[in-house]
Amino acid sequence: MTDEAAHPTESLAAYALGTLEGPEGLRVEAHAATCPTCGGVLEQYRAVIDALPMALDPVAPPPEAWASIRAEARRRRPRADQEAGLEKQPRWRRAVGPVLAALVASLLVWNVVLQRELTRREPGPAPGPEVEALSRRPGRLVIFAGTGKPGASARLFVAADGGPGHLAISGLTSLPRTRTYQLWFLRSSGSPATGGAFTVNARGLGWAKITIPVALEEVRAITVTEEPAPGSVAPTGHDLLRAEAWK
Amino acid sequence: MSELRPRRGATLAGGGAEAATDPDLLRQMQLGNESAFEVLYTRYGGLIFTLALRIVGDRELAREVLQDTLLRCWDGREAYDPSRGRVPAWLVGIARHRAIDLLRSRPHQARLREREPLTGLASETAQPDATDAVMLRRAVTNALQGLPTGQREAIELAYYAGHTQAEIARVLGEPLGTIKSRTREAMERLRTVLWPLIEPTREVQARRD
Repeated sequence: MTDEAAHPTESLAAYALGTLEGPEGLRVEAHAATCPTCGGVLEQYRAVIDALPMALDPVAPPPEAWASIRAEARRRRPRADQEAGLEKQPRWRRAVGPVLAALVASLLVWNVVLQRELTRREPGPAPGPEVEALSRRPGRLVIFAGTGKPGASARLFVAADGGPGHLAISGLTSLPRTRTYQLWFLRSSGSPATGGAFTVNARGLGWAKITIPVALEEVRAITVTEEPAPGSVAPTGHDLLRAEAWK
Repeated sequence: MSELRPRRGATLAGGGAEAATDPDLLRQMQLGNESAFEVLYTRYGGLIFTLALRIVGDRELAREVLQDTLLRCWDGREAYDPSRGRVPAWLVGIARHRAIDLLRSRPHQARLREREPLTGLASETAQPDATDAVMLRRAVTNALQGLPTGQREAIELAYYAGHTQAEIARVLGEPLGTIKSRTREAMERLRTVLWPLIEPTREVQARRD
């Protein structure tokens, strides 16, 4: 791995530390997503970086810190009670809900299949030239945090003059054929719109060309969930990746 | 104020909570088990607070980071899939980003941190710890101390201050290309020394999980 033109050796360490911004970071991410050599080095860099805080002199938190955290957690706790409340619904309502959901899904799933065929791209040959060309155009870089999946991240690049977006993913788990990842644009008002479905390879890396279904100005959050293949009409899984600030 | 009542099945067997794996703790937290949350805090609260304090340089702000990190973990427990990643890396990642965000929102505090000498490596008098952790701690400390000063500064300004490569070049008054080279050389040295120690622990952890 000595050819800088073939592998971004010089930038890979800076990228692992999260200190590369904009197009250069995107190029490195796109390359590492599809290059086993650089992907392997990146994984090792990240493991080393995770260990860096161990070199610090341990400092104990203030004794009252846990009580404060526990009190706030208790204040937020509604989940268990809300779920317990669901069990009080009449049995027929509990049974009808999933049936209706399945019916609606079956009627509308053709739309998702169509979008998927248009947007899905299997992880494969490095899309380097395509990405590099795109990243030189003015646009927005949307950074996703792994809210439900530790260590996962994604970058979505959208050119200012429209057209498809490009999504680079790392850190997700390879899924069986019956499952897929799906990108969602959650609008300030109205139902979520999907940007397409995608998969990742055995190393957790993926690359997808994405249809941007709505103007980003109308979007309050962009998320990635795991869904039954070929995709859902509305998100049913928990948020694995989430981006809220890109404006 | 209501209690966090564990739902059915949300108990940690006997006194074994402290020995539970991280994924076990998260599974119990998903069932509403506050004891599991407390064990997780006991296990990683010190690490999170230490890291936060190193970044923000203020105990009160570090405590704020600690609280935000743990509460985000609690709020996100339902979405967390234990089979998909290591809990400490997740927590440290949340804490580091929160601390750097906090530092950036306080430019005066950030400038103070930039002027401070980049010290704080663990001393030989650090508190007793599990053997593996002590060995790795010592290895990380030695590896960092073994780096040339310029390389160590580049790594620490990136990791603890959250600076971009261009910002590091500005702070240190060096060309951007020099900073990139130092960063790469430093990470290569660290990887060469530390990965052989880290890899077996990850495999053992994966088997436990």
